[in-house]
Amino acid sequence: MSLPARVLAAFPGIVESECLHTSPEDRRYNCIAHAAGDHRRWWQPEKVPHTYWPKGILRTSTLDAYEAAFGTLGYVRCANDSLEPGLEKVAIFMNPTKGPTHAARQLEDGPWTSKLGLLEDIGHPLRQVEGHVYGVVATFMSRPRKKVTSP
Amino acid sequence: MFEELCHRWKEETSTPSTDFMAIVMNSAYQRIISLGWDAVPLILAELKIQPDHWGWALEAITGENPVPAEAEGDIEQIGSAWLQWGRANHLIA
Repeated sequence: MSLPARVLAAFPGIVESECLHTSPEDRRYNCIAHAAGDHRRWWQPEKVPHTYWPKGILRTSTLDAYEAAFGTLGYVRCANDSLEPGLEKVAIFMNPTKGPTHAARQLEDGPWTSKLGLLEDIGHPLRQVEGHVYGVVATFMSRPRKKVTSP
Repeated sequence: MFEELCHRWKEETSTPSTDFMAIVMNSAYQRIISLGWDAVPLILAELKIQPDHWGWALEAITGENPVPAEAEGDIEQIGSAWLQWGRANHLIA
């Protein structure tokens, strides 16, 4: 699947040949949920009805709150985006005026996966979604990658 | 009117940076809320076709919240709870 024009327009840094359009538009979950591996719920740090945030984590849109939320899934802060065997990484993006804006998760073979708001999931080199929409990566977190077992 | 506003809401919120507040504060969504109880059966009919972020509007209009705490964030479960409420209140078949 090629990337929709609205995605290319929003992210001028995207090199289409290096990205993959991996899902149709889906309004059920957002980028944070996708990075957390949850395609059922809308994760939102602010305390607003009808949204999910891990219990016991401060409901405020700060980097600390995002890190604590991913911490509930076993992630701890790490140094960089390098591919490390056995580790699954997430990257949290910050816009200097808006605070945290986005989260992406590293796939087992190196590229990253992002859910774009209410739109599609894409696979991409991490830095290609940096820019005026999401700002830049502010922190990385990692946890041991779960082994996929055959049924 | 409802269909037009609904279409506009979906169109305007289909962006890579839309967060939950942008979804529910969208002007078309707010105009749907301003339609009041007339909009409730129409929203429920929409929910029957496809789950979407209608819980906020339904709660704002009706003052009810039939959604169990464990369904937070899950728009399919939220939609199911509202459809059940709509049936119990004879607003949809």
